[in-house]
Amino acid sequence: MAGNLCPHGGFFECNNIFCEYGQKLSEILHSCSNVIEKLAKGDTSDKIEIKVKRYDIQRLIDSINNLSRSLEDLIDLNHELAIGICEHFDVLRRIQEGDFLAKASEDSPIEIVRMLGELINRQRDRFLDYINKIQQQHKEILELYTQEREILSNIGVAIMISEEDMTLEFVNEEFERLTGYSKKEVEGKMKWAEFFAEEMLNQMQQYHKLMRIHPSLAPRQYESKIKHRSGRKIDVLINVGMIPYTNKSVASLIDISERKKIQQQIIHYQKMESLGSLSGKIVHEFKNILSGIHGFSSILLSKIEDENLKVHVKRILEITERAKSLAEKILIFSRKEEAKEAQNVNLNKYLLNFSEFIKTFIGSEIILKLEIPEKEIFYKIEESHLEAILMNLFTNAKDAMPEGGEITLGLKEVCVDMEYSYTHPLVKPGKYVVLCLKDTGIGMDENTKERIFEPFFTTKPKGKGTGLGLSTVYGLIKNYEGHIHVYSELGKGTTFKIYLPKESRDCLPIDKQSLIGNETILVVDDDPHIRQYLISFLKGFGYKVYEGKDGKEAIEIYRKNRHEIDLCLIDLVMPGLGGIEVMRQIKNINPEAKIIIMSGHPLDLKDIVSVEKSCLPEEILLKIRTQFI
Amino acid sequence: MADRLLDYSGLKCPYPILKLSAQYPNFKKGEIIEVIGDCPTFEKDIIAWCNRLRKTILHIEKQGYKMKVKIRI
Ligand SMILES: Nc1ncnc2c1ncn2[C@@H]1O[C@H](COP(=O)(O)OP(=O)(O)O)[C@@H](O)[C@H]1O
Ligand SMILES: [Mg+2]
Repeated sequence: MAGNLCPHGGFFECNNIFCEYGQKLSEILHSCSNVIEKLAKGDTSDKIEIKVKRYDIQRLIDSINNLSRSLEDLIDLNHELAIGICEHFDVLRRIQEGDFLAKASEDSPIEIVRMLGELINRQRDRFLDYINKIQQQHKEILELYTQEREILSNIGVAIMISEEDMTLEFVNEEFERLTGYSKKEVEGKMKWAEFFAEEMLNQMQQYHKLMRIHPSLAPRQYESKIKHRSGRKIDVLINVGMIPYTNKSVASLIDISERKKIQQQIIHYQKMESLGSLSGKIVHEFKNILSGIHGFSSILLSKIEDENLKVHVKRILEITERAKSLAEKILIFSRKEEAKEAQNVNLNKYLLNFSEFIKTFIGSEIILKLEIPEKEIFYKIEESHLEAILMNLFTNAKDAMPEGGEITLGLKEVCVDMEYSYTHPLVKPGKYVVLCLKDTGIGMDENTKERIFEPFFTTKPKGKGTGLGLSTVYGLIKNYEGHIHVYSELGKGTTFKIYLPKESRDCLPIDKQSLIGNETILVVDDDPHIRQYLISFLKGFGYKVYEGKDGKEAIEIYRKNRHEIDLCLIDLVMPGLGGIEVMRQIKNINPEAKIIIMSGHPLDLKDIVSVEKSCLPEEILLKIRTQFI
Repeated sequence: MADRLLDYSGLKCPYPILKLSAQYPNFKKGEIIEVIGDCPTFEKDIIAWCNRLRKTILHIEKQGYKMKVKIRI
C-alpha cells in the first residue's frame, strides 16, 4: 500500500468509493473476514498472505494468522486425543470380549495417551499371565481328576458315590460289570437301593441314615447282596464312608461270592474231617465191644449142648458179624492210612471190564455210555477200593433212575492249574485222573447235596438206603488224597467227579532193560551227595562216568577227554560257572556235544534239553537214552 | 446400500469419531456403515480412525465440507 494519506480525510472518513486507500483496506478486511469465517467452522487451512507497511494493519493480519495456527495446534491435539481414546477404547473392548491378541499402540505423540496405551498393555499381559496360570492349574486339576477317575475305574472293586437321597452320582466300570447296568443308566437316575436284594434293604437304609446322623455308630464294613440285572444275586462286602464336607457317601463293593464258596468248601471239608475222626473213634470202641460179644458168644456156642439154644447163639453171632461189617464200612470213611496193596491199574481196561459186569446189575432200562480215551491211563490204586467206589456210585445212580435213563462213565487226565486251585483251595495244582459218573436221574436239592457224604445220611426208605455209600466213597478217595465234586440239578440228574492226584512216578511204565547203556557220561554237580547218587545209578545201568565238582573242573575234564565223553549231565545252578555257561563253553570245544541240564524245577528253555533233579532215576535215564537215538 | 447410517452433520470434530467409537461395539463384523459429517477436519479424522482400527474405506463422496464415507467394519 502506498504511504500517501487519503486526501479526503483519512481511512474511515473517506466516502470516495474509488479511493485507492479505501479499496486496499477493503481487500484486506475481506481477506480477514474469509479466514475468520473458516476458523469459526474449524477450518484452519487458509492464511492471509497480504503484506502491508502499516503497522497496525499488519498486526491485525499477523494476529489472525497466529490465531489460526494456535487453533490448528489445538484442533490437532484434540484430534490426537480423540483418536487415541477411540483406539484404546477399542482395545479395551476387545480384551473385555476375550481377544487377548488386541494390543494398544504406544506411539501417540501425546504422553498421557501413550502411557494409557502402555498401561493397557501391561494390564493385558498380567491378565494373560494370570489366565495362563489358571489354565495350567486347570489342566493339572483336570489331569488329576482324570487320573483319579482312571484309578477309580481300574481299582478292581466296584465304587459308587451316593447322594443323601440315595441317588447314585457316580459309579465305576467295575460297578457296571457287577450289576449289569451302564453308567449312563445309573448316574443321576437310579438309587442304590435298586441294586440290592430286598432282604438287605431295610438294614442298609438304616445304615445310610445313621451314617449321616451318627457316623461313628454306623458300620463301615458289612456284607450284603447285589441284585444283578439278570436277577442273579451276588454276595458283596461293602465298605462305606462319608465324603468330607458333603452329604455324599462313597462305597466300595467287593464280590465275595467266590470267597464264600471257598469258605463253604472248607467248612464242609472240616465237617467231614471231624465227622470222620469222631465216627472212627466210636466205631473203634464198638468193634472192641463187638469182638467181646463175638468171642464170648463163640465160647458159649461151643459149650452149649441144647440145639434149641444153639440156634439163638448162632443168631447172636450172625448179627455181630453184620454189625462188624457195618463198622468196617464206617472205618473206611474215617480211615486215613495209605492204601497198602495198591497196584498200577490200567484204568481203561479196568473200566471196560467193570462196565461189562455192571450192565447186568443196572438192567436194560438204563443205558450205559462210556467215555474212555484211547490213551491208556494208569493209576496206583487197590482194585477193591476202585470197585467199592464205582459200585456205590452206580447203585445210587440206579436208585435215582427208577424209570430208567442214562449213565455216562468217563475217564480222563487233566491238569489242574494255579487258577483253578485258587478257587478250590483244597485242590492242589497238578495232574489228576478224573473219573466221572453222570446220571439223568432225579437229582438233589441244595440241602441234600450238602449232606450226602455224611455217614448214615440217606433220603431213601428204611431198608433200602443205609446212608453209608457215599461216605465210604469219600473216605476211600481221601485215602488217595483225591477229591470228589458233585453237580446236581433237581429233576435233571447228577454228576460225580472224582479227582485222583497223579504223580509222574506211578504212571510211567518203563522197561528197565531199555535204560541200560555203555556210553561215557560227565556228571557235573556241586552237591557231592547228588553227584554220588547220580553216579551210582548211572554205573548201575552200565554207564562209565566222569565227575566234575564245578563248572571249571568240568570244562577241563571235557577238554582232556572230549573224544571219550558221549554226554554231559550238568547242574543248572552252581557256584562259579553256572550250568548254561558251562554248556556254552563245552559247545565251543565241540559244537556236537550232547548236554542235559538238570534243574530243581521244571525248565522250559529253547534249544536246551533239561531234566528235573527230583525225577526218578528212570526218567533221567530215559532222557539220556533219547539223546542216543 | 449401507447396513447402518450415522449422520453427524453439524457436529464439530472430534465429536463424530468419539460418537462413532462409542457406537462401534454395536456393529457386526463385516457390516457396512455410512457416516456423514460436515466438519472440515472430518475427512482427516475418519481416515485416521479407519487406519488405526484397520477398517476399509469403501467409498468417499464430498460436497464442500459435507462428506459421506462408506466403511466396512
Ligand atoms: N446219583 C444220585 N442222584 C440223586 N441222589 C443221590 C445220588 N447219589 C446219592 N444221592 C443222595 O445221597 C444220599 C446218600 O447216598 P449214600 O451215601 O450212597 O446212601 P444211600 O444210597 O444208602 O442213601 C442218597 O440217599 C441220595 O439222597
Ligand atoms: Mg448208596
